[in-house]
Amino acid sequence: MPFKSHRDFFDLLEKEGELVKVKKEVSWDMEVGAIGRKVYESGGPCLLFEKIKDYPEGFRISNGTTGTWSRVALALGLPKNASIKEIYRHYESGLERRIPPVVIPREKAPCKENILLGDEVDLYKFPAPMIHEGDGGRYIGTWDLVVCKEPETGWTNWGMYRFMVHTKDYLTGWPQTTSQLAFIYNRSYLPYNRPMPVAVVLGADPLSHLLATAPIRPFEDEADYAGGLNGEPIELVQCETSDLLVPAHAEIVIEGEVLPDKIAPDGPFGEYPGYRSGTMASGIAVKVKAITYRHNPILTMIALGTPPDDSSIAASLTAAVAMKKGLMRHGVPVVDVYVPPEGVTHLIVVGVKRGGEEVARKVLDYFTLRRVMTNKHIVVDEDVDVFNMAEVLHAFATRCHPGKGIFLEHYEGRANSLTPFYSPEERSRLKGVSVVFDSTWPPAWPEEIVPIKASFKTIYSPEVQEKVEKNWESYGINLGR
Amino acid sequence: MKEWLTFTRKFSDLKEGRRELFIKDLSEGPRKYDTKHVVATISPNRENLKNPDVLWVRSESGIKLNNPWYIQIEEELPPYVPGRPWQDVFSVLEKGEAR
Repeated sequence: MPFKSHRDFFDLLEKEGELVKVKKEVSWDMEVGAIGRKVYESGGPCLLFEKIKDYPEGFRISNGTTGTWSRVALALGLPKNASIKEIYRHYESGLERRIPPVVIPREKAPCKENILLGDEVDLYKFPAPMIHEGDGGRYIGTWDLVVCKEPETGWTNWGMYRFMVHTKDYLTGWPQTTSQLAFIYNRSYLPYNRPMPVAVVLGADPLSHLLATAPIRPFEDEADYAGGLNGEPIELVQCETSDLLVPAHAEIVIEGEVLPDKIAPDGPFGEYPGYRSGTMASGIAVKVKAITYRHNPILTMIALGTPPDDSSIAASLTAAVAMKKGLMRHGVPVVDVYVPPEGVTHLIVVGVKRGGEEVARKVLDYFTLRRVMTNKHIVVDEDVDVFNMAEVLHAFATRCHPGKGIFLEHYEGRANSLTPFYSPEERSRLKGVSVVFDSTWPPAWPEEIVPIKASFKTIYSPEVQEKVEKNWESYGINLGR
Repeated sequence: MKEWLTFTRKFSDLKEGRRELFIKDLSEGPRKYDTKHVVATISPNRENLKNPDVLWVRSESGIKLNNPWYIQIEEELPPYVPGRPWQDVFSVLEKGEAR
């Protein structure tokens, strides 16, 4: 079931009991963030705060649009009790087809219902939340979709980057220097000292936001994949102040330019690894030139922090599927990749048909070749269900040889500076280290010496299993299934 | 007495005297946390300044200094400093390149 807008999706969430509308007045200054965080930490519903202190009626804030697997399943058109594996499979097959977006006239675009241009631009007209106590400012861009374009090829990139309100008409942000936004900027704008048009989109349809988190390869448009996944083209509309195209049904679109010669502080901010660490004051400045928005706009927030939340769930899905494809291209006999949300893309589980040192080193090679967002990788045999962390931990504990099965790779200039355990010096140099834990049986071992897993499904013959299953009810044992 | 907030990497980086810094307005209302870029004299001792405002200080991880400093704003500057994207704002402020 395709969703044109954030609101269509909220209608479904409400029907499914996955949305709570908070009628009581709440403050944008830490209260909505604290409520959102508490709800994430108990696996609760998506929230829509309908009355915000200091702001007129109709200006709303949401939290946790797809912050649980159930809501991701619903966004993908699956039943809300779909398993993680089913969600992965559905998403993976959805990426096989691409449907290019269509551009609609501005009169038909809901995001153009209100337009602020030039001197009318005032970011304080919107209830940008102060999400965590001690953040560097009010983060208007958390669950966003940031559009920029490579002018030579026309490649339009969607990414998800944090943006803070600096003044009424300036944003500051911190897309990592290894991001695709930085790649485009450094390639096509900075050398010519020219500003780069960007659009920070809030409240597009849920799959477009999911795709904004996906590590789609350079020179491929996320909008095509979002259409493929949605089963129909995403409707776009042109910006007021640039030729960028943005989702037409978005709640709020902030149009601006990344400045090549001016900077201002961004951060600190409680980020997706679940910490507020020293990532501050080395980002980008954006001069806001226009803001367009729907009547009664919804500002989409995620009270980022310890997992799970929208960020860790989305990355679990979109990063894992991209990694699986990448590992295949790299010659790894990969069966599945799981990015457990609790590991906040720092911990990756890779299931392989055949393991051993050569494969483990190839896995490490793949994850450290370019920008490095991950650092711990557990490689397991095919008999281990990568989506079942109890099985993964068992394999890691029992098959990874501490003296022979752990391999490290050091690098500089491409580490993830949000990784909390890096020192300030390591962060500033993007210096890092990654490790692979080979938790597979050595391929050189003859079959007869490989230890047999002593589980019901693996240590008994099919005949014995069948007999027990057949007689189960007669034993009088209730397993609560 | 108006209250402001500024950030520093480490508390020990903050030096008393006349300097250029970014501060956030803590006045309640829809414009709370608006940023100003100013030249100001700052001090941990209120007595050292004439009619100062309060300046709260947080570190790079957002930890708040127990006791506030005090600030006397002398000049408001444009809300940015010259620099290239991803350049460290503090290093520009330290060199006084914006003035």
